[in-house]
Amino acid sequence: MGLEVSKPWQQALDKIRTWARVNSPWAIHFNSGSCNGCDIEILATLTPRYDVERFGIKLQGSPRHADVLICTGPVSLQAKDRLLRIYWQMPEPKFVIAVGSCGLSGGVFHGCYNIVKGIDEVLPVDVFVPGCPPRPEAIIYGVAVLLEALKSGKRPERTMTVELPAGFEKPQAEVRQ
Amino acid sequence: MSFEPLGENRFIVPIGPQHPALKEPGHFEFVVDGEIVTGASVRLGYVHRGIEKGAEDRTWIQNLYLMERICGICSHIHATAFVQGVEKLAGVEAPPRARAIREVFAELERIHSHMLWLGVAAHEGGFDALFMYSWRDREVVMDMLEMLSGNRVHYSANLIGGVKYDLNPEMMDKIRDGLNYLEERLAHYLDVVNHDETFIGRTRGIGTMTREQAQLLGAVGPTARASNFAFDVRVDAPYAAYAEFPVEMVVAQEGDLHARFVVRILETMESIRVLRRIFDNLPESELVTRVPRRIPAGETISRVEAPRGELFYFIASSGGEKPERVKVRTPSLCNWGTVITLAVGHKLADMPMILAGIDPCFSCNDRLVMVKRNHQDPQVWTWADLRNYGIEYYR
Amino acid sequence: MSSLEETLQRAENLLQPYGQSFNRPELNRLDVYLQRENLLAAVQALLEARWGYLSTITGIDRPSAAVEEGQTPTEGEIEVLYSFCSGAAVVSLRVRAPYSDAALPSICPLIPSATLGERELMEMFGVKVEGTPDTSRLILADSWPEGVYPLRKSFVPAARFSGEAKGG
Ligand code: SF4
Repeated sequence: MGLEVSKPWQQALDKIRTWARVNSPWAIHFNSGSCNGCDIEILATLTPRYDVERFGIKLQGSPRHADVLICTGPVSLQAKDRLLRIYWQMPEPKFVIAVGSCGLSGGVFHGCYNIVKGIDEVLPVDVFVPGCPPRPEAIIYGVAVLLEALKSGKRPERTMTVELPAGFEKPQAEVRQ
Repeated sequence: MSFEPLGENRFIVPIGPQHPALKEPGHFEFVVDGEIVTGASVRLGYVHRGIEKGAEDRTWIQNLYLMERICGICSHIHATAFVQGVEKLAGVEAPPRARAIREVFAELERIHSHMLWLGVAAHEGGFDALFMYSWRDREVVMDMLEMLSGNRVHYSANLIGGVKYDLNPEMMDKIRDGLNYLEERLAHYLDVVNHDETFIGRTRGIGTMTREQAQLLGAVGPTARASNFAFDVRVDAPYAAYAEFPVEMVVAQEGDLHARFVVRILETMESIRVLRRIFDNLPESELVTRVPRRIPAGETISRVEAPRGELFYFIASSGGEKPERVKVRTPSLCNWGTVITLAVGHKLADMPMILAGIDPCFSCNDRLVMVKRNHQDPQVWTWADLRNYGIEYYR
Repeated sequence: MSSLEETLQRAENLLQPYGQSFNRPELNRLDVYLQRENLLAAVQALLEARWGYLSTITGIDRPSAAVEEGQTPTEGEIEVLYSFCSGAAVVSLRVRAPYSDAALPSICPLIPSATLGERELMEMFGVKVEGTPDTSRLILADSWPEGVYPLRKSFVPAARFSGEAKGG
């Protein structure tokens, strides 16, 4: 990464990358044990009233095609492994948006035995969207905040080390950021 | 009809974690012989949070908010079941107006839930236009709920001993307008479901369950009623204000996927009718009665009809500020049992629709599917692959 | 109301040979206390008479004496309710199994859909259900330790709900 940074074409390429990323982020949605309230609101953002596709945001299925992981729920023990797997399957650079109070802190499920208490215990989260559930507008705003940060290059460095799920091999080719 | 654990050749469908409208994500394992499913089993627990245990640590009031959040789609009905049980234990009854308002919320919730399901089930079959239309129209109900309570999803209308929100005439007028619009749209959807040829091709005679099967497997709600297994807690054991404002039970004879669509749409129309009746005769009274902080010792069973079927609460109190035991049996849990049996003998391509047909609250996002047929290497499929496979198969 | 009464009476008559004692805790409910040996026969009797459907299986932990937190509990019992519903009427078959011999016969041969309820019972209460067809994990995480049953009263979650808002 360090070698070619100064080359002008490299800079141009970076610009194009950021432009493309900001204009059409693909998102994957994952329910880590939520009550569905947040999930139906996320789905509602796709439907005609809110229609995020007009902003180029596409919700789609496979983690391998996704830039943004939109995650809900307090992370149940059983879902944790799946969550990590999905995170590791996503190509770099990847971003995480935690939606809903219980994704932020465990929320109403605080103290239940089968939860990890929040997505940021497991993954580095870029944007938190509070609310139980947040309105669709709030979710869209959360994505917009993320895009804004990307555009201006103000995304904070991540320092968290993410656990590898059992039996999962770390992807070899890490694409440069 | 067996729940035997599966052997070597299996096709694993972790319908699970990743998708939007899912209530109880399950991991299914299907055994396939060529095209035909020959066995199925289920693994739940991806959203198991330990609520029943958590309930023992919380006070009665705190529990109200916890129970509401068992499911975001049927939140009001969970809270209703809970408060009714607690009220029974405490020996109080909510005032008539409060009970009527509970019914209003419950029926609005049913409309929103059934429309959500209609969209999701249509999507699984590849009818995306119907998905978008029904979700667009669903926003009308969401607006009503927001107007009444200030929130779109967890309305928190219930209190132990009554309700929080009142209805005023302007609100009722607005809701009436919305209902008129919805009724028109539902009539249109009914027409689509009954007359669209491709739709009929994918739903008639698929996933048929006889009345005997439904009873034996413990099917509940619209899934059971579509098989002419006529029971509906609202009718059989009226709670809230269902005695004053009764609903008609909707049943169908066929027991196939098509019948499940029809029953749900007709039920939604019935909800609209009963809502109008409530608005015309809303009783006058206060909204809450006083309930002691400590609930007397005892046990009670509280049953209500959630959009997906009978919801069962067992509540035990030892006379303290916290419950001794709360057991929640959600309708989807019962209906999983039917899927395991229904799947056998059907084509793999029909699975998405059959699964969606019982309305287990799952929808259109991606799930990973592992396919292992006979002696080939296991293949990994995504749920989208399976769905596409189903759509292509019928093209 | 009389038909409700009749329905319950009919159930009571059906279960007369098997029940130890009968109780009407509420207008629409009948509790039947059974020995576990009689469970299958009682279920069979309800099924043959087409009395209602199995609605749910509920387990309740009943530790014997009051146990201080942290101490080892003395011999208690797991009580299990098999609730059958017919219209507004609910009949609960109640059986008890002591901790040292926490086992019950499976009713799956009679009611296949009971499998989910029985698997839950095994995981959450540590009741051995003899003869149930599928014993794989249903609810708890794969990583959950063996022999820890969350719905027993002796199980205390690590981070308990305190009820107080977190300051700062
Ligand atoms: S934040 Fe609230 S609405 Fe969202 S998943 Fe959690 S409990 Fe449900």
